[in-house]
Amino acid sequence: MPTSEYQGSSVPLSFLGRSILSFRRNQIISMEGTQEQELEELELFQKHVADRFTGLLSSRPSSDGIDNILSIAWLRKLLDTFLCCEAEFKAVLIHGHNPQIAKPPLNRLISEFLDRDVKALDICNAISNGVESIRQWQKSAEIAIFALGQKPLGEGQVRRAKKALNSLVASITSEDKESNGNTSTERAWSFGRRSGALIKERSSGHLRSLSPSVSRNWSASKQIQAMSGNLVAPRGGGESSGLASPVYVMSNVLVFVLWALVAAIPCQERGSLATHLPVPRQLAWAGPVIGLQERIAEEWKKKEKKGSAGLLEEIQRLERCGQSLIELADSFQFPPEAKWVAEMEVQVAELSENCRKIEEGLVPLQRQVREVFHRITKSRTEVLDILDQAGKPSTPVL
Amino acid sequence: MEKNPPEKSPSFACPDDKKKQDADRSPSPDFIAIDAKSEGDHEAEDREEDREKVDEASSDLDSSLAKVSEEIDRFLSTLFTVEEKSNPPEIPNHVDQFCMLVEAMIAKYDSGEVPSKWCQVSEEDASLIEAVDRISKLTNALGEFPSESNYVSSHNRTSTVLHRAMLLLEEEFRALLEDSRSGDSDPGDLRMKQPSFSSNHEHDRCVLPEPDSARAVNFPAYSPEVVSNLNLIATAMISASYDKECYQVYSIARRNAFEESLNKLGFEKVSIDDVQKMQWDSLEGEIATWIKVFKRCVTINFSGELKLCEAVFSDHPSISDVLFIEITSGVVLQLLNLADAVAMTKRSAEKLFKILDMYETLHDLIQVIDSFFSDECANKLKSETSTARCRLGVAAVSIFCDLENSIKSDTGKTPVPGGAVHPLTRYIMNYLKYTCEYKDTLEQIFQEHQKMEQSDGPDAETETTPCPYNNNQTPKPSPFSVQLVTVMDLLDLNLEVKSKLYKDLSLSYIFLMNNGRYIMQKIKGSAEIHELMGNTWSRKRSSDLRQYHKNYQRETWSKVLGCLRDEGLQVNGKVSKPVLKERFKSFNAMFDEIHKTQSSWVVSDEQLQSELRVSISAVVIPAYRSFLGRFRQYLDSGRQSEKYIKYQPDDIETSVDELFDGNAMSMARRRT
Repeated sequence: MPTSEYQGSSVPLSFLGRSILSFRRNQIISMEGTQEQELEELELFQKHVADRFTGLLSSRPSSDGIDNILSIAWLRKLLDTFLCCEAEFKAVLIHGHNPQIAKPPLNRLISEFLDRDVKALDICNAISNGVESIRQWQKSAEIAIFALGQKPLGEGQVRRAKKALNSLVASITSEDKESNGNTSTERAWSFGRRSGALIKERSSGHLRSLSPSVSRNWSASKQIQAMSGNLVAPRGGGESSGLASPVYVMSNVLVFVLWALVAAIPCQERGSLATHLPVPRQLAWAGPVIGLQERIAEEWKKKEKKGSAGLLEEIQRLERCGQSLIELADSFQFPPEAKWVAEMEVQVAELSENCRKIEEGLVPLQRQVREVFHRITKSRTEVLDILDQAGKPSTPVL
Repeated sequence: MEKNPPEKSPSFACPDDKKKQDADRSPSPDFIAIDAKSEGDHEAEDREEDREKVDEASSDLDSSLAKVSEEIDRFLSTLFTVEEKSNPPEIPNHVDQFCMLVEAMIAKYDSGEVPSKWCQVSEEDASLIEAVDRISKLTNALGEFPSESNYVSSHNRTSTVLHRAMLLLEEEFRALLEDSRSGDSDPGDLRMKQPSFSSNHEHDRCVLPEPDSARAVNFPAYSPEVVSNLNLIATAMISASYDKECYQVYSIARRNAFEESLNKLGFEKVSIDDVQKMQWDSLEGEIATWIKVFKRCVTINFSGELKLCEAVFSDHPSISDVLFIEITSGVVLQLLNLADAVAMTKRSAEKLFKILDMYETLHDLIQVIDSFFSDECANKLKSETSTARCRLGVAAVSIFCDLENSIKSDTGKTPVPGGAVHPLTRYIMNYLKYTCEYKDTLEQIFQEHQKMEQSDGPDAETETTPCPYNNNQTPKPSPFSVQLVTVMDLLDLNLEVKSKLYKDLSLSYIFLMNNGRYIMQKIKGSAEIHELMGNTWSRKRSSDLRQYHKNYQRETWSKVLGCLRDEGLQVNGKVSKPVLKERFKSFNAMFDEIHKTQSSWVVSDEQLQSELRVSISAVVIPAYRSFLGRFRQYLDSGRQSEKYIKYQPDDIETSVDELFDGNAMSMARRRT
């Protein structure tokens, strides 16, 4: 099957997946029916989830910004983490050939899980679309960088840069407005002196660059809520609940990862999501997940007040640099003073650096989102096949 | 040189004018209100000034432009030959004059005074483009002397005019792309695009009245004049290094237009989640539209879009490739989404055919991807397309293999009255007949599926599709035909079990004959199934059927024929009348009974029915006739004879012709 195998990951996933699988298989052969062994494995899965998320949480702001939470690089790690957890989860769930999974109450949990998978796929698509928006913004920023890099710098180039930046900032802001559920036709144009330029852009259809990837009334926040709404921790914790526990853990991982993506990347209708997802604190793996959630939610609240867009670090920086360059452009006088030029060059350098990060990170991120999509689809099919098998008449009629 | 020359507005003079236009174009009062509020008084004044300039300048615009242009060209060629960058010639006044002339031209456009806007290549447009090209060259040339303050200052002036010109061109470019399509709708689609032309854009000239025949295939539906103007503007923008703006506008406008054209065909984005919840009949509708849309893309839209890209960016083939990919690849991915979503829906038998249709559509797409997309992108799209296609294939295999289960689970204990064709037989055979219309596709799918399972390495044992082929016989029958044979064998097995539900052995043979005949007829009626099942199988089936027939004959008629035997009639060398009488009596009783029961049995296949009757007659009538001929004489004529000889041979034939009529009334006459 020609799957679009994802290759750019920092972890050799296919290798990891395979090794987990074969490990598991050997174990079944040698330890068939050993319940203790199984329990141990479930615990191991939870421990791995906890370890991986602790790793994500410990990404501290650094000077080069490589590891900053909600940066493109961090999101790529997050998706890697998801793919690892997913591979291990599948190994636990499928390769155990556990007949339990077709029987109540596990079959209900599994079918809820599969339903979450479907919703996750739509979110992946919406995120892919959001990544396209970022690419458009990058292009606008690059126009500004190009224009301000011209020598000698004249008023024409400054205006050109300002036009591109206005369109960039307005697009980020309007994306935010729209994605936060403000779908009414009258728009709140509160951009002060920039409004003139904005109307031009808006009326000429420049900003509404991409139509939504999913159906018109689809809402990322509703989907996330639907995914998390019926998440109930299995009674008795991890010990006695058997496979119910990893299903629960993996559901939480799925919901959290998608929630973080929706928080970071512009995405259709994503308002009112800054709330916490219900994760019981007492579980070992839940600690780091809750920690991450709190930090992202905090960011979200901060940005909500400022009324700005996607929490992705690079987007925020695009907006910030754009904004301050617009202000700088407003103070342009020909011939420019050395101080003005120096200031401009510093800001352009920051914007360029940010664009470089986007340029480098966006394609692999996009590929990874697709990989997540394909992986979820594949696992879902496999689980369904197993359920199907279990439900079929096992003996011929004769 | 002066700083900030007065005829130039401090910021966005040009967009202000455009803004006004755009606001006018838009019916929304919001825009106008904000527009008025946002514009500072000084900007309005600037506009006034611009207007005055226009009036002043336009009078001698045409005459002076040619002269000034000549001067500029001369100056440019001088600048190109300057060796020493530190000692350039004096900047002539013509530079400033030229700037003013170009500004005047732009202002004229902005004010909407230019009569024909870009619909046809007018002289005016051509001279604007020419002037823009000249000012771009001038700007570049002046920029070569950054140490000369008057050059820098002049450069500032020309670059500002250039920017203003570029804004104008960008707007015109966008407007042309967005508004001047002459309705790329289906001929049957009456909802023509509502033209959104503004009063000052006389685009309606662009809409060429087209003969109906030419409207059939019309994408992206720009008139040749519009395309050549798009090309003019793009070339001018690119050569002035405003390429990024140009690409951005083009890409966005075309992407939206491309999507819009699909929406007009009825395509709507549906979330995967919604597809799972959709009723099958509405999903079927979506799929039908999807197939239509995809075919349209493959046959018309892709090539139209590619041609447009190539025409507009004729001097920049690599860019036209990139833009084409930007515009279309997202659409392809979006379309693939429905394939994924459908492959994910709960599997059920009725979905097979639509899934196969989708599979074939994607197959066609893969065939043409290379002709539209360049390597890297083609590979990505191909891989996405084949992944989606593969998922449809897996769904198709699983649905088809699930026939096994629907056969196995059909374990009803009630026999079909009269031994008629079982509904399961009808269902399976008709299903197979339709399925085999997709024979080639299914062969391919099963082949791929088999390869996939074999190559799946450690995962292989988790692939649980219950298709029991993996035997290494040579030559191998195709995996699909193996599966088909499996289904047929299971059906046979199931029918055999069902035949045992009949207490009357004869009836169970009739049942087997009926169903067997039905199966054979269906297979004969479909060249595809016949080919897949092979001659050997058919021959085996035919001989089975003959055997059932023989068994029936034996079961029903051997006892009857036993009454007509010579043996045992003679006692001490003489025909025994009581035995003879007994023979006649039991023959009559048996025959009556058979007639009564078996005329209620059903053989709806006329040929089989007649074969059965003929074969019965052929056995029974001669035997009866000869028995009668030989032994009638032993019975006294008259009353006794009538009592025992109830039937004349002709009566037997008539009665036999009433068998298997499905008629519950035993003695009712045969339908005519």
